[in-house]
Amino acid sequence: MKFRTSLVYAGLAALAIAAGLLASWLVFQRHEQPRPQTAALLLHDAKPLPDFDLKDSDGQPFTKSSLLGHWSLLYFGYTHCPDACPTTLAALNQVMGELARRPRLPRPTVYFVSVDPKRDDLKLLKTYTGYFNPGFIGATGGEDALHALTQALGVDYAYGKPDAEGDYAVDHSAFVVLVDRQGRQVALFTPPLDAKRTVADYSDILKYYGETW
Amino acid sequence: MRPSCLPAILSLLLLPIAAWSAGPSVNASHVWIRQAPPGISVLAGYFLLHDLTDKPLELESVTSPDFASVQMHRSFVKDGQEQMEPVPSVTLPAHGSVEFKPGDYHLMLMQPKRNLFAGDVVTLTLEFSDGSELTLMAPVRRDPPQH
Repeated sequence: MKFRTSLVYAGLAALAIAAGLLASWLVFQRHEQPRPQTAALLLHDAKPLPDFDLKDSDGQPFTKSSLLGHWSLLYFGYTHCPDACPTTLAALNQVMGELARRPRLPRPTVYFVSVDPKRDDLKLLKTYTGYFNPGFIGATGGEDALHALTQALGVDYAYGKPDAEGDYAVDHSAFVVLVDRQGRQVALFTPPLDAKRTVADYSDILKYYGETW
Repeated sequence: MRPSCLPAILSLLLLPIAAWSAGPSVNASHVWIRQAPPGISVLAGYFLLHDLTDKPLELESVTSPDFASVQMHRSFVKDGQEQMEPVPSVTLPAHGSVEFKPGDYHLMLMQPKRNLFAGDVVTLTLEFSDGSELTLMAPVRRDPPQH
């Protein structure tokens, strides 16, 4: 009896060890690739996004499921921003140009999310994003919906005091967020965005996450 | 002629020569204005200024007949936040340069009085603390000039 009990324990222990080995193999097999050295800030662990409920510039829902199945670059700003936003969006257009030279690399979808829904309606967002690249998608939504997404991504924004004409600046996070096919935040690109450097980092990060092309 | 008048007359005679020999206080290069996306009524302007004098100079104001108002602003990143603040004036060090460029100092050109597209040229007048003025013809461009 005693022998049988210890046999059961031994069996359980062996099972636990096997399960542990299997788990660590599953966890670490992705990390067979060494962590790439990137100018981009590569998150230690991919961070799943929560559900969010915004609208894109075609009036379609822009939700977490919009981000599934492809890589995405998300930038947060506002259209009345004269310097930083056009600079970053023009740079992202150059990134797309650079990516066109590497046609086998999976292409990201670029989103410009306005944190100034009071002034940026979907129609304005559509012409605005289309001006930089016809493939870029604008999106925005109510304060709460914006908050759900921005907070999860570590994106901050704050409205400045309106001037005599009612114009105001919006402080906003400078980085561009990279989201993977599973809707997880994996990296941040910080300005100034050099197109070649950004594409090299993007390619290294995709490889690290097991993409092949 | 009373001798006391002489210096006055002399200085009057020499004044145009002095002004001429002093030449412009500042020169500008890499001047351009970023074309605004459709529906947007604020444009950004950029240039590289070089103080040609032995003294620091302040760029005190910029005006343009093509805009309702022009302000000087500075973009900067603080704690990962893209921020922007108006600046009343910008100092040019003696014999030194200041660059207005994306992500840094820039002009905020508000409410254009005509539609401006790449290829158009806008007049900018810069006023400096020594009383000098510099008039620039700034081309509107879609993308930054390469330099």
